[in-house]
Amino acid sequence: MSIRLLALIPVAAAISLALSAAVDAVALPLFLDTTGTILATTLAGPGVGIATGVVTSAVNTLRNPTFWPFVVVQIIVALYAWAAARAGLFRSFRTAVPAGLGLGVIASLTSTPISYLVFGCTTTGGIALTTALGKALGLPPLGACFFGSFLSDFGDKAVTFALVTSVLHALPRRTAARFPWALRAIGAA
Amino acid sequence: MTGRRLHPFTLLAIAGALPALAWILPAPAGGMWTAAVALLLTLTPGWRPGLVVFRTALLTAAPFWVFLRLLHDVPTTIAIGLRITTMVASFVWLAATLAPDRLVEATVARGWSVTAAYLFAATITAVPTLRDRARRIVEAQRCRGLSPRGSLGNRLRALRALALPLVLSALHDVDERALALETRGMVSGARRTPLAPPPDSAVERAARWALLAACVAALIWRFK
Repeated sequence: MSIRLLALIPVAAAISLALSAAVDAVALPLFLDTTGTILATTLAGPGVGIATGVVTSAVNTLRNPTFWPFVVVQIIVALYAWAAARAGLFRSFRTAVPAGLGLGVIASLTSTPISYLVFGCTTTGGIALTTALGKALGLPPLGACFFGSFLSDFGDKAVTFALVTSVLHALPRRTAARFPWALRAIGAA
Repeated sequence: MTGRRLHPFTLLAIAGALPALAWILPAPAGGMWTAAVALLLTLTPGWRPGLVVFRTALLTAAPFWVFLRLLHDVPTTIAIGLRITTMVASFVWLAATLAPDRLVEATVARGWSVTAAYLFAATITAVPTLRDRARRIVEAQRCRGLSPRGSLGNRLRALRALALPLVLSALHDVDERALALETRGMVSGARRTPLAPPPDSAVERAARWALLAACVAALIWRFK
């Protein structure tokens, strides 16, 4: 791994953890905690993306102990983002947002068993309340847990994909060309 | 002995073993013991700092109990709640006692790849810097008249205006960091000399193996 890609990993992981300040300012129910993982993958491929996801989970665990069991989700996000980058789905919002919605479904399918078995679906207050809503609607326990995870992940991943698309298009071409996957992800190579 | 004096690998072993045992041992007795040990550990950094860590652990764990009761019956709430309390208390204690620089030194002294230690320590130090930058960007954009309230579309546009400068400026830091790493000889396979490796006594090494053995034995006992 080149030194530049090695230097990218902590920066990308810190982006995921620092974006909460921007989310707080606009008061939207978003996490954006996979932004760094998706960005690192689209810039430098799956290895760097997976490393970013694992480092993000490890460091965030020291702040929020519920994070570590979801490291699997970060790895799946990196692999999905790599497939999306290979297909050039970050070329516009029209392709990136549906791809992000697809990731929302996959991420919630992956996180539901972890949330159900480890935390009894109480990962965050929002997920617990939407799970309670699912139960009130007559869904079985696992179905209600998926309902809660789905509501929180679906929009979050679409916004994350849109944000990464914005970043990739705003990067100067000369800077983008320094990363092996950036131009391919936006369909320019 | 306070947690700060323990070897970083011992801290990690304790913080990993307690939640593992909480999930392996039968509920609620297993979870009760592990939660009690984890909460006692939070008091070890000293009287006043220990109380702060203890309170942080309780305040972090409390919402889980409320949400568990909202979703589950009492026995399930107690079983899962004790496991989550163990995990929360263990990691809050770990965060209070594990110094990243000591972990890097311990990793280097053991001869393991310095890359993993660098990634962990660099991320921990980069997060506060980027958070400060994010706050400055929020203030600067507000001064320019950006309104982060209103309709969903308005908020999403505001989010883009706040997040984009942060991410782009962070990416521009990558070259500077790469240059700094290159200057310090950060190449794969290079052997580094630790300046102040944390002492690792035979007792601590034995304790780490004992924790691993306890987890394996509990697993075998539970599923035999």
